[in-house]
Amino acid sequence: MEAKERKPIITLRDIRKNFFIGTPNELHVLKGINLDVYEGEFVAIVGQSGSGKSTLMNIIGALDRPTSGEYTLDGVDVISAKDSELSGIRNQKIGFVFQTYNLISKTNAIRNVEMPMLYGGVPRKARAERAEELLTLVGMEERMKHLPEELSGGQKQRVAIARAMANDPAIILADEPTGALDSATGRLVMDIFHKLHKEQGKTIVLITHSPELAEETERMITLKDGEIISERKGASS
Amino acid sequence: MTLLWENIRLALFSLKANKMRALLTMLGIIIGIGSVIAIMTVGDSLTGTLTNTMAGLGANNITVYLNMTDENSDNGSIVKDSDFITKDMLVDLSETFDDKITAISLEQQIGSGKAVDGNLNASISISGTSLGYFLLNDTKLLDGRFFSTHETETGSKVCLVSDKLVENMFESDNSKAIGSTISCEVNGKNIDFTVIGVYEYTNSFSSFGITAGKNVRTSVYVPLRCATSLTHSDTFTQFGVMTVSGINPDDFVKEIKSFFSSKYYLKNNRVYIDAYSMASIVESMSDMMNKLTLGISVIAGIALLVGGIGVMNIMLVSITERTREIGTRKALGAPNSSIRVQFIVESIVICVIGGIIGIILGCLLGIFAANLLDCPASPSVRGIILSITFSMAIGIFFGYYPANKAAKMDPIEALRYE
Repeated sequence: MEAKERKPIITLRDIRKNFFIGTPNELHVLKGINLDVYEGEFVAIVGQSGSGKSTLMNIIGALDRPTSGEYTLDGVDVISAKDSELSGIRNQKIGFVFQTYNLISKTNAIRNVEMPMLYGGVPRKARAERAEELLTLVGMEERMKHLPEELSGGQKQRVAIARAMANDPAIILADEPTGALDSATGRLVMDIFHKLHKEQGKTIVLITHSPELAEETERMITLKDGEIISERKGASS
Repeated sequence: MTLLWENIRLALFSLKANKMRALLTMLGIIIGIGSVIAIMTVGDSLTGTLTNTMAGLGANNITVYLNMTDENSDNGSIVKDSDFITKDMLVDLSETFDDKITAISLEQQIGSGKAVDGNLNASISISGTSLGYFLLNDTKLLDGRFFSTHETETGSKVCLVSDKLVENMFESDNSKAIGSTISCEVNGKNIDFTVIGVYEYTNSFSSFGITAGKNVRTSVYVPLRCATSLTHSDTFTQFGVMTVSGINPDDFVKEIKSFFSSKYYLKNNRVYIDAYSMASIVESMSDMMNKLTLGISVIAGIALLVGGIGVMNIMLVSITERTREIGTRKALGAPNSSIRVQFIVESIVICVIGGIIGIILGCLLGIFAANLLDCPASPSVRGIILSITFSMAIGIFFGYYPANKAAKMDPIEALRYE
């Protein structure tokens, strides 16, 4: 594409995913996806439910393996990685933001943000400092000691974004991050993504079924029946 | 290390969130560990007290007694007068083993009844004893004196009474008791004895475990010759031997038996002389105690097994409830091993907390029971260390399967779990 100078972060080549649902039937969920995402890009993947976008997200997120194809993430060959190495890839290269926040209950905001660093072996003091810094970045400095159940949906999602940033990953993978929020709060969350993208130069992959949100991003990739049917520049940048 | 601490913290949080459930889960462990600790505490204190009592009685003491042969006890024929142990035999014995015997203890029961002095009375049993009897039983004289040689030889009507009797009849005043005459009602006859000494009453082995009341029956000791003249009998069915310290009591038991069987009872098919040492009694007592402990431990082991299964069950429930958390942790980069460790640690924490509660309850119960038995008790350190280790082992053993199940969850499925 146009960003020839930029380094590719995600390289997907002919990614196929089949599910066996009984011997005669084989479900082809992804039918040969080719996709490059470059450093510092803000990409949206849109599609109806059943289009295969969740499966694609799982593969990009190193939670699932494709049936065939090649996948390189920030210079690492994900396909040939062992299961035990995949957890390390998720820990260091990917920051997940889920629709339902998925904060660990009974654990306050700061400890939630520290969690990926805990698994990454970051020393205690550095962990706490980084977590405070990130919570301040998302505007949660007042509620660092609060438990998830004491936070509103938007606040939880901001903590989740801070957590996704913890190990300074190569990509932030956000799956319907505003799906459970009202439009005003959703706007706030989207603004944080834009801020991270512009100010920190983060590579962000947003998975959504909402074309309006996708319009805000640099690039919108539309998925239908396991194939990329269109790819166009969005409104922003 | 940080991860381990984090896991312990997490486990404590999750227990705090479900206090009732955690307590019920721990119950099996608490009961199991508690009963082991309780029985160990009681066992240790009983064995300790027994050993002390026996040492007080003298582990070097040997009891020699007349026993019926098997054929005799079967056909029920009566032991003849000539079968009994005579004074001559005893003299012979002490001369033969002059270098091994310190004293010989003889006791002849006269009977039991009441000692009366005016309106006051006390329950007693009277027996004639040799001086060796006091030596063997380690009788502690509180006031007055033992029998003199003259009194022993003539069988004077003098006696030693217990401090309990003095408490009941002489307002605990020993000096008032000594020199006074008590009238003893024995087998329908009244005999007067002059008190010459007061000994300290001990909770003797026969009344072991029963707390002494105020009006406990105590012994009144009179010279042996006095007893033999009252009962018109000069023979014995048993006697005690105090050995010189340093000799092996078990070997000497054999020598005494062969001395009697070869010299006096060779052609006697009705009775024979048997003997045992206090050391062997102590041994068989602690042997019995160990068997009892083992038996209770087996029962406790079953309780622990059931408790462990309970822990495993609750861990499986906990893992199902926290499926999303597991999925999230995996997405954040937790390797399978740290998920496994997290839940094993949680299981260990449940078991160890249960174990600690069990230890506390067991100690309290054990000390309470030991106090009822009138033995000093201290918690068994060996038992406590063993219990903590064992609860950890249960935690690992029964936590492994659920933890492994959690570790092997598919992160996608786990994240999707409602």
